[in-house]
Amino acid sequence: MSHDIYKINPEFKDIMPQEIIDLEEKATWTQDRTKPRGIKEMPESKELLEEHSLCAGCPEAMTLRYVLASLPVPEETVIVNSTGCTSLMFPHIALHTVHSLFGNQNAVASGIKRSLEWRFPDKKKDVVVLAGDGATVDIGLDYTLQSFFRQENITTICFDNEVYANTGGQESGMTAKNQVFKMAPKGKQFEKVPLWEIAKTSGCHYSVNMTGSAPKAVAKVIREAVLIAREVGPTFVNIYTPCILEIGLSANEGLAEMKEQDKDRFETYKYVSPEAEAYLAKCKEEGLL
Amino acid sequence: MTKRTDMTETKNWSGQTLVSTEHMLFEAPRTKHFMTGSEVVKEAVKRCTVDASVSYPITPQSEAAHLIGELWADGYVGAYFRGENEFGVMSEVAGCAMAGSRTVTTTSGPGTLRAMENFAMWSGTRIPVQLILMARGINSPLTIQPDNLEVSYMLETGCMIWYAENVQELFDMTVAGFTVAEKPDVHVPMVTVVDGFFVSHTREAVMLPEDDIAIQPYEPYKAPLPPIDSEMPPGRFLRDPFVMKSNYISYATHASWQFEIRSAIERSIPYAKHFLKGLVEVIGDDDAELAFIVTGTAGLQAKEAHRELAKIGIKSKVIRLKTIRPFPHAEILEAVQGVKNIFVPEFNVVGWLEKEVKQSLYKKSDADIVGGPRVGGGMSMPVEAIIAEVQEKLNAGKGA
Amino acid sequence: MAKDSIKIRMPALGGQGAVTAAHIAATAADTEGYYAVSNPFFGAEKRMAPSESYARIATVPVYDRGEVIYPDIIMVYHPQVITMGKSYTMPFYSGIKENGLVIINSDTNLLTATDQKILDDLNVKVLTKDFTHFAIEQAGTELATNMAMLGSLFGALGTVSKPAIEEGIKDRFLKKYTASGGTATLDSVIEKKFKKKMDLIQKNLDTASAAFDLTADWAKEVGLGQILESPSK
Repeated sequence: MSHDIYKINPEFKDIMPQEIIDLEEKATWTQDRTKPRGIKEMPESKELLEEHSLCAGCPEAMTLRYVLASLPVPEETVIVNSTGCTSLMFPHIALHTVHSLFGNQNAVASGIKRSLEWRFPDKKKDVVVLAGDGATVDIGLDYTLQSFFRQENITTICFDNEVYANTGGQESGMTAKNQVFKMAPKGKQFEKVPLWEIAKTSGCHYSVNMTGSAPKAVAKVIREAVLIAREVGPTFVNIYTPCILEIGLSANEGLAEMKEQDKDRFETYKYVSPEAEAYLAKCKEEGLL
Repeated sequence: MTKRTDMTETKNWSGQTLVSTEHMLFEAPRTKHFMTGSEVVKEAVKRCTVDASVSYPITPQSEAAHLIGELWADGYVGAYFRGENEFGVMSEVAGCAMAGSRTVTTTSGPGTLRAMENFAMWSGTRIPVQLILMARGINSPLTIQPDNLEVSYMLETGCMIWYAENVQELFDMTVAGFTVAEKPDVHVPMVTVVDGFFVSHTREAVMLPEDDIAIQPYEPYKAPLPPIDSEMPPGRFLRDPFVMKSNYISYATHASWQFEIRSAIERSIPYAKHFLKGLVEVIGDDDAELAFIVTGTAGLQAKEAHRELAKIGIKSKVIRLKTIRPFPHAEILEAVQGVKNIFVPEFNVVGWLEKEVKQSLYKKSDADIVGGPRVGGGMSMPVEAIIAEVQEKLNAGKGA
Repeated sequence: MAKDSIKIRMPALGGQGAVTAAHIAATAADTEGYYAVSNPFFGAEKRMAPSESYARIATVPVYDRGEVIYPDIIMVYHPQVITMGKSYTMPFYSGIKENGLVIINSDTNLLTATDQKILDDLNVKVLTKDFTHFAIEQAGTELATNMAMLGSLFGALGTVSKPAIEEGIKDRFLKKYTASGGTATLDSVIEKKFKKKMDLIQKNLDTASAAFDLTADWAKEVGLGQILESPSK
């Protein structure tokens, strides 16, 4: 199975749109690959995202493309999403994805992972959560943390734009203190929730806080996070993907904003547990990283 | 450690011989046991080749939920864990089912309401999950007794709802429930309601088939929507928020999808009739002019009342609903031919079943419909109360 | 014959200010003495995505809610509504009533021969004009396109006066206004363009006024009758 499920019935090939043919012939699936998937192939190969309906220049869209380009085995990856701007991109992803309710993404992902482990004990299937800050730290905090406590073998990626953007710009737990947004007309009254630190003490074996400014850095972190989740325990990656609309930037200013925050609120944080460290060393030896 | 891959054509992963649901329910020889409703849930799940279950404690279903855990420890159930709260549990259950597992769970009263957002999501996602709902009163104030008001909250979630009367029926309905829910032309969730304490904690005689047989496993690739397991080309659905394309697509899709779910419930009727031997049970005098339309424990109390009324010369019949969704309109209409007085005793203060009955019989029956007696908070409904209600109605025209 | 109530559908793209336009239209009509209601309809807030808004204006209380499925007037704010189908109805004029009016912002004719025939049979008049260009000429920014369209609407209707339109514009831009993130961002962009808020108001008014006049002339030329009754004062 796996990559074969994306193959076109030869009888229909002549009427298939080029994008679907490219998906079979030019996408960087894991078959016949001696090196791990990454950013370098993006310009020449078919990406696993067919358009997206986010604003032009949206850092989330940019970062999702890096994530999709760096999943170790995309054809065996299920991505669980939640309501928000990230879900605008999900219908256009070639892989198995789920959008359930708002905030329950880690619960659904736990069920999927356990079910897949039971049904396919001899296969490695990765389950990745990708949701915004509201879904991860506010309405879904319970389920996010509990999936860490339970040591679920899933990767949790948070696209942190520090606001509920899709609903018009309300403060979230990840908003910085004093920032003025809707529902915080006097400025946010409490500090940004450091979920990457809480992840560490909640049982994650790998926890990172970063921005989406450097594609290769994102790709490396995603690869590590997914591999560790597969064999060691839950992993968490928080990526600053600012909402240019809500903070009044234009389409070509997102990258600069992220670069600026690399030195400020999103100075890189990285925690790797000893077991995860050992496992990463093993992966390097085997050429998986 | 059992593995799903240990399953063969003839035996499941715990070595039980695979049989058809018909064999399990109608042909396999049975022996008598004496056990509670909670214990019989374990017996049912044990014989159902269940892949996954997620549990959480709340009275009165905690016991049934932990007993399913024992099945997992013994290798009968594939995946099992305790979730963080009922909302989380029902989402975890959804994940299990979306990824192709036959999944069962349980909850009660406040837990049901806690989880509520999930049930319409379940039916919309077309997952054949079975929820065994052990009815218990909803706060506030707090009562752990079997008030079944929570069933009224479930009525429009797009799930099928069956109501088991006693320990025996709970076993048989649970087994049949998986099979009917998983039919490709049905494929919506099954809610098997049973009254807490009066059944869950009541010990009674029950006939069970041997535990070395089990029903055929779930076949996820026959589902109307492909499972999310990276083994088939991806299906785009719920997993695809249409509003992101346009409001127009989203509301048009939502409308047609909602109608389809209700149609799926209707399509379950022939299967439900087949496995339950009818959507309703009718006992008593064929020519009775007095009828009780009931479900659950109210049905048992009405059966007692039928016997007592006969002793004082009043003929009656009991029309007990086995299925609430689909609602057995045709069966009820047939059974009330010639009836002049219908009573709907219920274990809740609003009379949700009375409303359903009145809606169903509007302009189709001349019978008077009395919504009573009703008990709230899950208190018991003694036969005497039913007799009194009947006598008040029958003697009303004759003066005090 | 003039009707006692009309429904206006404004298919546009996110970021053009159609929602604002419907709001101002209703406010202006309300000022003039009509009963008026306006509401938006869109999916996720997104620039260049379909964004539709409606205004209902009447001499009798307005009860109708939701989308306008059977409009008397359709105002197409962007050619892509038609050329790329960025619309909730296909074709864009679905539901248009007899003796209605269509105003299209475009520099070329976007109607097919079939479209034209259908609209002619319904006696629906169509005004196609490059209002974006017009707005840039009048106010120096394409963000004033919606003001031009508004002016055009009222020029065609003939029963909402320029002072009422001024009131509508002032109400929207001078008072504290609850807006979504995207709208607030555009508001601040537009404010930065004009040194004083009053300059902004004046430019909007001038644009609307100029469009009002040219459409009133056009209406006479094509024989567009009075669509809506005059309000009772």
